[in-house]
Amino acid sequence: MSEFLRILEDEVQIVALAFMATVYTIRLIWMFRFKAGKEITSPVGSPRVGAAYSMMNVAMPWAMESARKNLSFYVQFVIFHLGVLVAITATLILPYWPEFFEAEPIVRIFQLFMGAAFAVGLIRLIRRITSPVMRLISTPDDYFSVALLTAWFAAGVFAMPNQYEVSEWPLILFFGMTTLFLIYVPFSKISHYLYYPFTRYFLGKTMGHRGVFPRKKGGEKPAGLE
Amino acid sequence: MSDKTINISDVVNLPLDLKEQKKALEQKSSAVVEGKVKVYDPNKDNVKNLLEMLKNKLSRQTVSSLVGCVHCGMCSDSCHYALARPHDPTMTPAYKADQIRQIFKRYIDWTGRIFPWWVHAKTPKNDEDLNRLKNIVFGTCSGCRRCTLNCPMGVDTAVLVRLTRGLLTELGIVPEGVFVVDKDSWETGNQMGVSQEDYIETLEWQEEEVQAELDDPSFKISIDKEDCDFMYTVNPREIKYDPRSIGYACKIFHMAGESWTMPSFGWDQTNFGLFSGDDKLGGYIAKNLYEAAKRLRAKRIVISECGHGYRSSRWEGYNWAKYKQDIPSESVLITLIRYINQGRIKVDPSRNPLPITYHDSCNLARSGDLTEEPRWILERICTDFREMYPNRSDNFCCTGGGGALSMVEYKPLRMEVAKIKADQLKATGAKLVCTSCHNCVDGLSDLIKHYKLDMQVVQILDLVAEALVIPEKDKEK
Ligand code: HEM
Ligand code: SF4
Ligand code: SF4
Repeated sequence: MSEFLRILEDEVQIVALAFMATVYTIRLIWMFRFKAGKEITSPVGSPRVGAAYSMMNVAMPWAMESARKNLSFYVQFVIFHLGVLVAITATLILPYWPEFFEAEPIVRIFQLFMGAAFAVGLIRLIRRITSPVMRLISTPDDYFSVALLTAWFAAGVFAMPNQYEVSEWPLILFFGMTTLFLIYVPFSKISHYLYYPFTRYFLGKTMGHRGVFPRKKGGEKPAGLE
Repeated sequence: MSDKTINISDVVNLPLDLKEQKKALEQKSSAVVEGKVKVYDPNKDNVKNLLEMLKNKLSRQTVSSLVGCVHCGMCSDSCHYALARPHDPTMTPAYKADQIRQIFKRYIDWTGRIFPWWVHAKTPKNDEDLNRLKNIVFGTCSGCRRCTLNCPMGVDTAVLVRLTRGLLTELGIVPEGVFVVDKDSWETGNQMGVSQEDYIETLEWQEEEVQAELDDPSFKISIDKEDCDFMYTVNPREIKYDPRSIGYACKIFHMAGESWTMPSFGWDQTNFGLFSGDDKLGGYIAKNLYEAAKRLRAKRIVISECGHGYRSSRWEGYNWAKYKQDIPSESVLITLIRYINQGRIKVDPSRNPLPITYHDSCNLARSGDLTEEPRWILERICTDFREMYPNRSDNFCCTGGGGALSMVEYKPLRMEVAKIKADQLKATGAKLVCTSCHNCVDGLSDLIKHYKLDMQVVQILDLVAEALVIPEKDKEK
């Protein structure tokens, strides 16, 4: 392996990660400097249960009509994000435990996840470009984010065999994109994963306090029967 | 009924109407003179003021909703505006929220301040842009929160719309109806400008009606009586257009052997601050109510049937007024459940034989906690109850939410998007649609007329009063 690739896989990634973590820390401090809205009423339900329910929302497609009625969209979401998880895992394993990718089934599994996520990314990009609703709400950041990730998944598929002795280019491409991605992410909508726990916590806490979350399906005991 | 679809630019470009503001200035309206209600001033730098106010009004919660949107578009199928107008992408909730999000991005957030075009960050250029913003946030969203509960990220678009409305209200850039109701609320302590004289007279009239019906001169609607079990608060619409509902409620309280009173001031449980986004007004109206209960040493506050009234008085009002809740408050639905469950009143469901469906008010179901309560009562007071689909917190808005009924200029659009609700109602085959909200009564009545549905709107209290078994009277029969 060339020294260039080794540094790109190791030190460059660490610096990029540290950069991302620093920006995120500042970002969270910035967010927490805004005053917190307080609920000073006596509760009907539990803010804690509401917050937990809200945070679990992403894993409960049945809880939301938009996911329930549009299951294929939800499946795409899962495939896309599993791809993210697998690709991130790969960037962490490749430099420090390359033997892991010597087993072909492992390489194939990683490629499968990233390949599927690539396909979903393409579908999502096409949807964003062709649907009038999506076009209206999309910004260059939205297009770029999904395009960047889609391309990154493709690069990941080619990088996975980790055969730098054959050619270093797939790995250079994959880790080069990872660097770009780590530096870009804090300034883009991809940061949504940082906000997700907060948005959902705030909403869930209030809704739990008021007895709206967990959402009622019918058959729950009404108030006033005490 | 017409299938004509409104040209959205006609709505978005509706001019700022200032007739009522001018009239209020000429008449030296106290709310205007004291600066409680703002009038539009073209000589001010309104854009700059809006930006400054935005900075001060942001909370952690609103910021998280502003930064949290991934523009996935999943909310578009949850909004009745978007569903009824599939050809019109501007009805997408995310687009409506983006109107304030792009200002936030340009003025407060990071990336948008450096590379505005990259994230579509921009500030309004002039008052015309602010007027367009007004038409979007007041005219194309009823604040129903259906999109909020359908957003995977938990972005509260309805709260962002309300935040924007509040900023524009501070600049006097509001629909005429909003200005008038805000002004009336400040000046009279209730949103319909009901005078204290009219209020008392209406209660006396209802007292006489119930006395005659029960043939019981001892029946009283007591005003400002101290140390009662609860203080009953109502919607001014009841005083003005539906006084029977007060008579029904008080008759039921009487039959249940209740000790209750109504305050002479602080009786309006509704709150236009929820709709205009004016937290100060919201706090003022809510505080009137809480202090009335304290003054009368009432043990509870009971809120008559009203979705936004319940949300405001039970939940938001304490927060707006920064008033720590010291007296429990409940919807009259809970009071009714208690009476029926404890056998304090007897009801006969056979007196309500027509097929009935129930419309969940958005504010009760999505911003409050009341979905099972009305159903529990309905199962005991009528014989043919049919669910409407979707229901509970998935229900569609009556289309009259968010103060829409006071903004006549947007009515054609409101009626067009009411198709979603009309189809939902029709599918039940019911003859009566019951709701527990005076606002929804008007919203539903409008659309029933527009879509020529064979249906009438009733409320829970109407049905309970109909089913109520009055021993003496029933014996006579
Ligand atoms: C806690 C972790 C995460 C949660 C809860 C989460 C949640 C979501 C949700 C709810 C959506 C909208 C639905 C959709 O478009 O499928 C979304 C979209 C998206 N997510 Fe995530 N996400 C997470 C992590 C990530 C990470 C780590 C990345 C990338 C590094 C990522 C990239 C994206 C992208 C690019 C989209 C937009 C897809 C499009 O444009 O169609 N997400 N995410
Ligand atoms: S508001 Fe929620 S559902 Fe709508 S586009 Fe934004 S993230 Fe998606
Ligand atoms: S709050 Fe209701 S009306 Fe407003 S955008 Fe959301 S779904 Fe549509």
